[in-house]
Amino acid sequence: MISTNLFKGSRGPDANDSRYLIAVDRRDLPGEATMRHYEDVDEVDLCIVGAGAGGSVLAQRLARHGWRIVILEAGPFWHPDEDWVSDEAGSHELYWTQKRIIGGADPIELGKNNSGRGVGGSMVHYAGYTPRFHPSDFETRRRDGVGVDWPISYAELRDHYARVERELPVAGQTWPWGDPHAYPFSPHPVSGAASRIWKGALACGIEMRVGPVGIVNGTFGNRPHCIYRGFCLQGCKVNAKASPYVTHLPDALAHGVEVRAKSMAVRVEVDPSGQRALGVSYIQEQHGVERLQRARAVAVCGYSIESPRLLLNSATAGFPHGLCNNDDQVGRYVMVQGATQTAGRYPVEVRMYKAPPPEVSSEVFYETDATRGFARGFSIQTVAPLPIGWAEHVLAEGHWGRALREYMRDYNHWATVGVLNELLPQPDNRVTLADECDQYALPIARFDYTLCDNDKANMAFSARVIREIVQASGAQDILTIQRFAHLIGGCRMGTDPGNSVVSSDQQSWALPNLFICDGSVCPTQGSANPALTIMALASRLAERLAAREVDAGSARPHVELTSSARS
Amino acid sequence: MVGRYPDYDVIDAAPMWDEATRRAVEARMRAESCQLCFFAAEEAATLRAFCDVVTAQDGEPRVPVAELVDDKLACGRLDGYQYADMPDDRETWHLVLCGLDEVATRRYARASFGALEDAAREAIVTDFARGALTGGIWDTLNVKRAFSVCMRAVLAAFYSHPWAWNEIGFGGPAYPHGYMRLGPLAVREPYERRGATDEDPVGFAREES
Repeated sequence: MISTNLFKGSRGPDANDSRYLIAVDRRDLPGEATMRHYEDVDEVDLCIVGAGAGGSVLAQRLARHGWRIVILEAGPFWHPDEDWVSDEAGSHELYWTQKRIIGGADPIELGKNNSGRGVGGSMVHYAGYTPRFHPSDFETRRRDGVGVDWPISYAELRDHYARVERELPVAGQTWPWGDPHAYPFSPHPVSGAASRIWKGALACGIEMRVGPVGIVNGTFGNRPHCIYRGFCLQGCKVNAKASPYVTHLPDALAHGVEVRAKSMAVRVEVDPSGQRALGVSYIQEQHGVERLQRARAVAVCGYSIESPRLLLNSATAGFPHGLCNNDDQVGRYVMVQGATQTAGRYPVEVRMYKAPPPEVSSEVFYETDATRGFARGFSIQTVAPLPIGWAEHVLAEGHWGRALREYMRDYNHWATVGVLNELLPQPDNRVTLADECDQYALPIARFDYTLCDNDKANMAFSARVIREIVQASGAQDILTIQRFAHLIGGCRMGTDPGNSVVSSDQQSWALPNLFICDGSVCPTQGSANPALTIMALASRLAERLAAREVDAGSARPHVELTSSARS
Repeated sequence: MVGRYPDYDVIDAAPMWDEATRRAVEARMRAESCQLCFFAAEEAATLRAFCDVVTAQDGEPRVPVAELVDDKLACGRLDGYQYADMPDDRETWHLVLCGLDEVATRRYARASFGALEDAAREAIVTDFARGALTGGIWDTLNVKRAFSVCMRAVLAAFYSHPWAWNEIGFGGPAYPHGYMRLGPLAVREPYERRGATDEDPVGFAREES
């Protein structure tokens, strides 16, 4: 820790050359044209479903240990120079916009809000905040009597957090909350809009810190410094913001991983004995015929909606209600975070669209404080909606027509701050299959969500706190929008099949060679943005698989194949 | 659209934009010449009237909101979720337009919402926004959610257009040049313009709502 503190940016990550493999003059993923291709009949060592935060890190790590790996990704292989735009409406293709049904008392909007599609996954369009979970997040039941304890502790993830932070790399001030730690890159300059919010927080006695964001400050290999254009949520055309597309997949491809894009997984196949996964059936968009990629092990990395959906769509005689679902746990305990945002109006222009939306944050309220009247807490983060996002804020206060246009004309005078509330895991907040099918005749997902009283109390309290911050910052007027962000849970890890879908090694209770490696395995979510934790979990799983500390049966690669995978 | 930033045209910076972004934005500026293909000819007047009322567009030149919404729905570029108590967004749009005509007939004895005066249109949309429309089609819809479905598309269309960016003084797509004046001291790039007034419009907006 001390060395990273003293020599910021000087020490790169070990065993990951992605930053050097990227071209200086192009944004394409290097290696796409030359990557290894496997045949369906090749029994690869691992078939991964989903090229996002979990699947990409898992692939990169294990490829370096000689595993032969195919990643099936439903979305496209991006060519950012041509495919991505500095434009809100033009970024529609980055999101998972295939239909899902949302229900419950508090339905959660999906799509651009929390769901990615394409090589790189949702991190292609996440804002960039990369906080760690706190040690308390792993034992909320023991400490606070709510949620559930993880089958692993923070200590088991700590080294992986630090390793992934070097790989992204994360920029920010030394972090005083949770497990105190330093970041490998120095904090970014703070924009005028975020400084206003920070000033308000200080006036309220609330400490905030710059970062932590997975955005290059300086240069990092061939990745350039951020240019502060503010379109982090539209895909970083600069290659400054971290996503697996630039942080792990270049190295993975260089070590023999095949990413098969536009390939929608339809079913995890199980052998007739019901004891092992055989591979994954999938449909390539351009061909439309179902194919089977055989594999010694399968890792489902489709996140909180698509991973449960794939398992539920993989029913067999031995698993009549969906694969891994004989104990009725698949799809349960899906969580989101309350993400109320409050904006303040200032006498002078602040132009919040400049600089990355994530800038300054606080975890002062992260832990339980009995005097607040609810368990667990929330974090505070500055944000910066672009015009379409800002119009949704104005609409949320009931304005349309002339009033909306007037508010919108005033855009340059507003700055925004948001919260992330830890909302509790509940069994009936669940992904199930809807009656409707997609173009491949696969039932689509339905996600029901209802807040509990603790959630509502947390959200109400935090909304008051950010309102006070904005008031104290010298704002003349205030706008508030209540919304939700992020997904976690759905295939949680636990201590036995009656309370979870996977073990502490993310190994399904149902089949020894079936793993789940994405945000769906998290039993709780804290008030932290999930990306870093999903990557750290994948890093830990890969380490344990490579060291054969997890017994996946014949999932172990044959040593003689290692050299051919590297050729 | 002249007002807050009278000398500002974001398109002046377009030669600095990357080609993919420029193509996407310029296509939008040609949208007004596109034919409606998702909406039927008999829906057009009500569609345009609704888009005009909710974006307060009462004269030319207009941001072609109807054409942009039509293109989105025709291409099936939906948002990735559908409320369990709502039909598909495309069906919602047809129902809403039909429902607006129903109310126009019932309240004002006119054939369509598009045939109403501004004040009558605004009165109906006020009830729509509050979820207070009832009878006929409205009894089959979650009215507030229907308003949100339509407004999501309308606002995304309107504020994707450079004319709307000019109105709000937005610096626009800043790639590959980026922004250098982040504040708090300097807040404007050389091609950005200061607003003509710093007056707080909130009082006015409150009166309108």
